[in-house]
Amino acid sequence: MTDEAKPEEAKSDAKPEEVKSEAAKPEAKPADAKPAAKPAAAAAAAKPAEPAAPPVPLEPAKFGQFLKEHGISSERLPDSCGVETIVVAADQLEKAMRLLRNSSEIKLDLLLTVTGVDSADTFDSVYHLWSYSHLDQLVVKVLTKKADVAEGELPAVPSLANFWSAANWHERETYDLVGIRYSSHPYLRRILNPWDWEGHPLRRDYKQLVDALNDKNPHSMR
Amino acid sequence: MATEIQEIDLKTDEMIINMGPQHPATHGVLRLLLTLDGETVKHVEPVLGHLHRAQEWQGQNRTWFQYQALIDRVDYLSGMFTSWAMARACEQLDGVTVPERAEYMRVIVSEMNRITSHLLWLGTYLIDLGAMFGFPFYPFREREKLFDLLEEIAGQRMMFNYIRIGGVLRDPKPAWFDKLKAFLDEFPDRIDEYETIVTQNPIFLKRTKGVGILKQSVATDYGVTGPCLRSSGIAMDLRRTRPYSVYPDLKFDVITFDKEGDTWDRYMARILEMRQCVDIIRQCVEKIPTGDIMGKKQMAGMRIKAGEGFAAVESPRGVLGCYVTSSGGEKAVRFRWRNPSFCNLTILPELLKGCPLSDIMAIFGSIDIILPDVDR
Amino acid sequence: MSNTNPVVPEELRETVTLSSLDLMIDALGQVLSPVLSPIANLARSNSVWPLTFGTSCCAIEMMSVGMSAFDISRFGSEVFRATPRQADMILTAGTITRKMAPALITLYEQMPEPKYVIAMGACTITGGMFNDSYSVVQGVDRIIPVDVYLPGCPPRPEGILDALLKLQQKIRTENYGERRKKMYAQTSVRKVDYDTGRCLEDLIGVVQEDTAAALAKAPDSNT
Ligand code: SF4
Repeated sequence: MTDEAKPEEAKSDAKPEEVKSEAAKPEAKPADAKPAAKPAAAAAAAKPAEPAAPPVPLEPAKFGQFLKEHGISSERLPDSCGVETIVVAADQLEKAMRLLRNSSEIKLDLLLTVTGVDSADTFDSVYHLWSYSHLDQLVVKVLTKKADVAEGELPAVPSLANFWSAANWHERETYDLVGIRYSSHPYLRRILNPWDWEGHPLRRDYKQLVDALNDKNPHSMR
Repeated sequence: MATEIQEIDLKTDEMIINMGPQHPATHGVLRLLLTLDGETVKHVEPVLGHLHRAQEWQGQNRTWFQYQALIDRVDYLSGMFTSWAMARACEQLDGVTVPERAEYMRVIVSEMNRITSHLLWLGTYLIDLGAMFGFPFYPFREREKLFDLLEEIAGQRMMFNYIRIGGVLRDPKPAWFDKLKAFLDEFPDRIDEYETIVTQNPIFLKRTKGVGILKQSVATDYGVTGPCLRSSGIAMDLRRTRPYSVYPDLKFDVITFDKEGDTWDRYMARILEMRQCVDIIRQCVEKIPTGDIMGKKQMAGMRIKAGEGFAAVESPRGVLGCYVTSSGGEKAVRFRWRNPSFCNLTILPELLKGCPLSDIMAIFGSIDIILPDVDR
Repeated sequence: MSNTNPVVPEELRETVTLSSLDLMIDALGQVLSPVLSPIANLARSNSVWPLTFGTSCCAIEMMSVGMSAFDISRFGSEVFRATPRQADMILTAGTITRKMAPALITLYEQMPEPKYVIAMGACTITGGMFNDSYSVVQGVDRIIPVDVYLPGCPPRPEGILDALLKLQQKIRTENYGERRKKMYAQTSVRKVDYDTGRCLEDLIGVVQEDTAAALAKAPDSNT
């Protein structure tokens, strides 16, 4: 029952998200200041002071600037709780990640998670990067427009698993649950659900299978 | 039925053995597909998901208030940390300030929880190594005492639901602190007791020394965190390197070894961590101020401001993170867990390659995973 | 097929073949069970050996109950067996997911009769906290028969002891002849296919068609 009600509700919720997150920024800052003060400060210093103007592209901050110097264009999104957030085009993702990981001045060498999000009109692949040795953090997103995905196909994002082992299982999981296909992944197979599972459970349009194991009127052995 | 005698070639074929999902030493329901060449492990393929309970799906379909009660089950041996990670992520988004007394209480209860988690690990690990059912009686004795204390303030033995968004649930009575102090006084002696039995035990040393060495380059490549990483000589402990809560005010050092760690080092790291927890709790009990314990009103229709945030805490197994996307509604848009067990388990195929069959359990146990944390 | 024994239900007649010795033992059991059952039951009820089957949180409480603070050995159940062949009872400690369900059924079927099940925790009774989850079996009684329900999330160790005492009571009042009659009815609950993880009720039709087709073909190919 809930999963039928979910898509409409979530969709209507998600529309104002982009606008609202901009507005909510100033309030979100002070809370963050205490626990994650240092990384926040670095990102905040570079942030231009123009709170309400979503269409105007934001100035690239530290990491965006770094990528720009190396010839990779990125788009900056509003910070998520004081952490720099950038969008990278899918075909430049691998190059960008290699740079961020290996260059000696940046060295974001801890890939925390790869998350798949089924947003209102995009499939996001979100990478959280930390470092083992210093305090910087970065969120990288790859957005695939739903309109660009052909009927019956999965959105494709290049895989990082070939040079970064940490991404391997996370990408498999994202493939399993959200249905993002990581091209050139060495072993892209369902990891949590059974191998013959149908559908991707965290999609908005997922319909739950109802059978003897979970119907509401069980022929149980009671 | 063929009757002719065939030539027998003495070359051994590779054999695939299925271990689990119901196996007493896999700590739950992990399934390992082992490719063996005689006694040597050629390849391991972990098959996960036998405990996939759709926690992330639940996160999107339950209200904030309901989901708070559920997340203790993400990592049931250290429920305080999962609650804390979620609370921190939501507080960041919502701009809630947590009262200082609540922060101290959080540190106290979660360090207690860390001890119980390591104690359970110690007991089961020794069973894995073949110490049969005698040894776990010792760590479980102290575990029960800690559980009694935690139950007194949280109301449940394992699923505490004590750390809430904005603070903690209840303020303990002064007598509780006295009981806690009494426990802290006797606990170091108990650790000595375990160490007398285990640490220099020749059988234990034979099984663990030089087994399953985790190289630094491998660890960083796979994103390993927690005691496994620290015992391999990388001093990364969120409580020190990215301090949160009141940890900056407390005095303690990151426990790390200056060489690449083997199974015995990972054991030692956890023993030392338990001693360190006792110190931290002592300091907190002395320093804890009086005051409020809750900064946000807890109610069924609670909302969190729109936006997205990521927060992490140092759980007994490593960096436990929580990525929340909210649209300002009663439910989250996306809830994502960064589970230390899931990430640490990825090194298993790497560590087991080329080791004898009998070492599998020694190495696997020393990573200290628990299955709901892997499968969610 | 000389099998006319009423204890084997209709749909299993083809898979089970009882020899005449079996039938004799059965008849003897029927006659003697009023006399022997109370004695055997008393002995059995005081040594219910559980299987070490724990999938999640409840399993930790199951471990606690074996330790010195609660000490399940006072009731004769401290011998946790790792193999189903030596166990009398499953404590289904923890959530059973769709991926795990076939394994649980196999374990249950591998246990020798008489066997008992305690459904431990809200998850295994109704799905509990994970009600509605796409991957959770909403109640373990949909796949195996349950003797005692033990609610709680997780149940306290004292609760486990209580459930064990209830089970012992049940065993003591049992008549072995009666139980044997129900035996095949109980083992025929395999509702989920091990290989595909799908509900067997859906598959039965498919299998019947396949076998019918194979049978129709068989005489031709043999001759
Ligand atoms: S009933 Fe509760 S404690 Fe037991 S397995 Fe389910 S969620 Fe865990």
